[in-house]
Formats: sequence, structure tokens, C-alpha cells
Amino acid sequence: MTTALTQGLERIPDQIGYLVISEDGVLASAGELENDERTAGVIMQMVQTACKFRLHGTAEPPFKRLSVMFEDHAYLVTVSGQKVFVVKRQNNQREPINV
Amino acid sequence: MEATLEQHLDDTMKSPSIVGVLCTDQQGHNLGCRGSLSDEHGGVVSVLARQAASLTRDPTDTPTVCLESDSGNILMKTHGSITVAVHKMAS
Repeated sequence: MTTALTQGLERIPDQIGYLVISEDGVLASAGELENDERTAGVIMQMVQTACKFRLHGTAEPPFKRLSVMFEDHAYLVTVSGQKVFVVKRQNNQREPINV
Repeated sequence: MEATLEQHLDDTMKSPSIVGVLCTDQQGHNLGCRGSLSDEHGGVVSVLARQAASLTRDPTDTPTVCLESDSGNILMKTHGSITVAVHKMAS
């Protein structure tokens, strides 16, 4: 079952770690996120917080993907099938966000 | 005193594809907002930014949090004691 969850995550370009988290805890982890329960906890808190975000009173979840972008790496988070998938990617090459 | 901030918020809304902007303090109190982002979003924005910052040990590396959906992205970042959120529609 772990392989089915994680084989897609393994192939993500520039990935340097991942977590698969359910209500019961961490189902799988690898790379820089291996056994990283602390990061898993923070990410779960962020997902729960983000789900409270509602625009114009819409009922649908407010995001397909939650990303946390640092200087040279990023965490990309998505929810599917009652599980939270987190991938840590290197050097996201983002452009300055000019708004 | 808020005139400068209010002007910046108005200027931000002039950018193409920007439909909302919000500034909060560290407690999530609204300092100013426009468009799709309003008082009710202040708490979530400030908490998300703070939670994201705890993912690194480097206090100078403040993250940008982004909620991505088909209808647009909400980007958030903390600068000092102020957290700014921008709602940008997909172009």
C-alpha cells in the first residue's frame, strides 16, 4: 500500500523528501522528511487552518494545493482521499512575485 | 496615518488580475483590505503565515504561503510585524 501511495511522489522532479499523512499519523516518509513528525504536525495544522478560509461564503475547499515557498526549497501540499501529501522540492526557481 | 497604507492598497488593486488585498498585524487584526479579502480572513492569514514560518529554523527566511485553486491564488507573506495577503486570479 505504501508503494501505491508513494511511487508518484518519488518521480516528482527535484523532490528531496515527502510525507503522506492521515488522521492516524504519518503513513509514509522519505528523504529530508523521513520520520519528520514535527514537520508533519505543522503541515497538518496549516491544512486545517487553510480549510477555514472561505471566499464569498463558498462551501468548496479553498485550495487544490497549498505551497510554502522558502528561499531555496518549497513544500507543496495537497489533500486527496482523506490523506495529506507533502513534497519538499529543491530550488523552486520562483520569480519575484511582483504584485 | 493610515493614508499611506490605504494608498498602497488602492495601488495594489490597480494591478491586473489582483482582486483582493489584506494587511493584518500579528494578532490577525485587519489593518486594511480591499476587494475579495476582508476582516473575516485576517485571522486565517496571520495564523497560516506564522505556522509556515515554524517550518524553518532560519528567522530571515520568511516563506510565501500560497493557496492555489482554479479560481486564483492567495499569496501571503509576513514582513516584520505585518502580514500581507494578495488574491490574484489565474491569468
